[in-house]
Amino acid sequence: MDFAALGRAPLRLTAGARRVTSRDLQIVEATDALLEEDVPEPDGVAQSVSLLRGFNATIPSADKGRTRRRQTRNVDAPKMGLKRLGMSARGMLADEDDHESVVSEDDVVLVGSVAGKKAKGKRRGRQSLSASVVFGRDELVRQTHEIQRDKENIHVRRALLNNEIVEVTHKIEALDAIRTKLEQDLLRLQEDELELDDELEGVKERLELEESRTRSTKGSQVASHLQQSSRRRKGPAFLPSEHDELPHGVAFMSLEGHSSPIAALDFSEPYGTLVTASQDDSQPRVWDLMSGEELGRLRGHRGTVKCVQVEDMMCLTGGDDGNVGVWDLRRVDEDDDWERDSEVVSLSDVAEEDEGVDELGMRRPDVNGSIRQGMSTPSSAIEKDGPCIRLLEGHTKAVTTLYFEDECLVTGASDKTMRQWDLTTGQCVMTMDILWAISHPPAAAPGTGLPNHLFPGAAASAGSFAVPTPPYSDGSWEMYQDFVGAVQFWGYALVSGSGDGAVRMWDMRTGQPHRTLLGHTAPVTCLQFDELHVVTGSLDKSIRIWDLRTGGIFETLKYDYPVTALQFDTRKIVAATGENGLEVYNRTSMQHSRLLTNGHAQPAERLRYMDKYLVSGGRDSMVKIWAL
Amino acid sequence: MPTELPYAADAEVSLSYDELEVLRTQYQKELAQSHVTVQTKFNYAWGLVKSPLREHQVEGVRLLQEIYRAEPTRRRECLYYLALGHYKMDNYEEARKFNSLLMEKEPTNMQAQSLASLIDKKVARDGYIGMALVGGVAAVSALVAATLIRRATRR
Repeated sequence: MDFAALGRAPLRLTAGARRVTSRDLQIVEATDALLEEDVPEPDGVAQSVSLLRGFNATIPSADKGRTRRRQTRNVDAPKMGLKRLGMSARGMLADEDDHESVVSEDDVVLVGSVAGKKAKGKRRGRQSLSASVVFGRDELVRQTHEIQRDKENIHVRRALLNNEIVEVTHKIEALDAIRTKLEQDLLRLQEDELELDDELEGVKERLELEESRTRSTKGSQVASHLQQSSRRRKGPAFLPSEHDELPHGVAFMSLEGHSSPIAALDFSEPYGTLVTASQDDSQPRVWDLMSGEELGRLRGHRGTVKCVQVEDMMCLTGGDDGNVGVWDLRRVDEDDDWERDSEVVSLSDVAEEDEGVDELGMRRPDVNGSIRQGMSTPSSAIEKDGPCIRLLEGHTKAVTTLYFEDECLVTGASDKTMRQWDLTTGQCVMTMDILWAISHPPAAAPGTGLPNHLFPGAAASAGSFAVPTPPYSDGSWEMYQDFVGAVQFWGYALVSGSGDGAVRMWDMRTGQPHRTLLGHTAPVTCLQFDELHVVTGSLDKSIRIWDLRTGGIFETLKYDYPVTALQFDTRKIVAATGENGLEVYNRTSMQHSRLLTNGHAQPAERLRYMDKYLVSGGRDSMVKIWAL
Repeated sequence: MPTELPYAADAEVSLSYDELEVLRTQYQKELAQSHVTVQTKFNYAWGLVKSPLREHQVEGVRLLQEIYRAEPTRRRECLYYLALGHYKMDNYEEARKFNSLLMEKEPTNMQAQSLASLIDKKVARDGYIGMALVGGVAAVSALVAATLIRRATRR
């Protein structure tokens, strides 16, 4: 029996019916939950300023002392109507105010009396206001104590305010962090949108292809040319399902075989066929990317192969010997037989080369290019057996860059010219002379001699072009002799990057350059353009992004070492910038990152990617395949 | 350093209506800005608890509970104020719970000890009243029973 509860009952009953509100219940219910909670040691402000002290410092009556003291200092002076003065000075005095308060009637400046006093001539100085009020000693002591207390109150209030400020600052910081995260999310959305745009284009292409296929009655017309070349295709590639499981940014496959730095590479599609060429080797190797095995080699060149492009099963190579080889990659294994009967076999090769000849059997090293020279019949445009369909001759010096699409090919060579070829006939259609373009700039400048904005060491009208490259990250450098570093065309528009650092835009119908983009201070080594931008990389350690229409520079990315290769799409630029790791620049978030995991041991020099599949070649003679 | 707390007598002294109004306005102004400082809330809550009106006390205790929940560093002080609030509202059980938790944390606190004794006194007084009531009821029922029995036996 709880007597206490019983005892309370009469009081409750007699003291009037009181509704038990929800608040009452709320309080009582919450009690138990609250008691569970942890009660830590108070620290910080809670320790220095207790709630009670804060209460006493901040309640309105805390100010009582001050007002009291002010009142004690109030002197009884004749009414001067100061309030009225003040209000009229502020321009707020209205007619109604006259009738409002009784007090205001007295608030009239008694000008008359003052003036009267003066007129009487009595020059008695007015007493100081403070003279009329006398404070006793007790009063003064009391005021001292009061003021001390007020000062302590201020100290308390200051502590409270400081604490509040600190808390609010923390909140602001937290909110700022949230905001930056949201902004990053926005950027990521933008990137996704660009990716979707590309995918849409790819799907549209396929749709057109399908429609044309169903429309065409002649089944023999293979619509292979309706599909855009791999360089212009934007949609995502077809990849084996396992590719998604690969870790991002890791080189999952390495192809060994070359013994000198990789000079050029290209592949037909992810997990398709890869062709690589290295510096001291005149035979590019053909690999199967699905298995990582070497399928064969392309024999036909006499010097280093400096540029390669692969489209489906057709491959074009340009070499130091000034020739362009056209190859059918489907016939690579047939080449085997052709070689076997040659004298080469009987030579020391048998003793030399190494590991087992597999079923595709042809790891025949071609150590002596000169011997082979005797074998091949150096005549132009002969249909050969084996992978080589055709050999295009015409350039007098090394072919350093090429680009072909459908039946049109453009090559750039160290003889400072560019040639346009028709691949069906194998004939050179046009020759564009860069030297001529340099000395006759399209702008209305009275150009006699070299324009002086080109860097010294630019091509002289005669003589060979050789510029020492700045050292790569491992210190190595070489003499760069490719006058035409890169070409690309689309329809009639051709863009070339050359050794004088200029990027020229040509009209292939006339063979004349109509615009020159100046900015690089060293030979241009690589370039690519799409509908909006031209991106160029050069030995001056920079990548420049130009506006295709106006020729103005959008952005310049600076690096520590010369840029030797690049490729871009709407979202990123992947470049070989003279370091072991490949540089990936995210165009929406403007972030740089490097591909390093299981990467090259020496600077990477060449690269090509399609969708999430990247192939890179480096000075360490290794070819690495990455999942982006 | 023991927490600075007011004696229970302080809770019986209420603020003037104007002062409470000022505190309420300040609290509501800060509410409108959606940033209420602990001090303002406490000022208002303590002003309400000191008031003689029961609705005020209830509201005051509710605000104190909010402070308790939100500010871990202030919890120890709040224990005392909550105990005091419940004591004024005659919720002796809750008051005792809060106060004993406080005394666990701070055994030497003078105000907590005095509040504890006050609560005990009140509870004891109610107990006596209860006992008296029970005794009275027992006595009356005994009388009624006796009358009934006598009437029955007389028949």
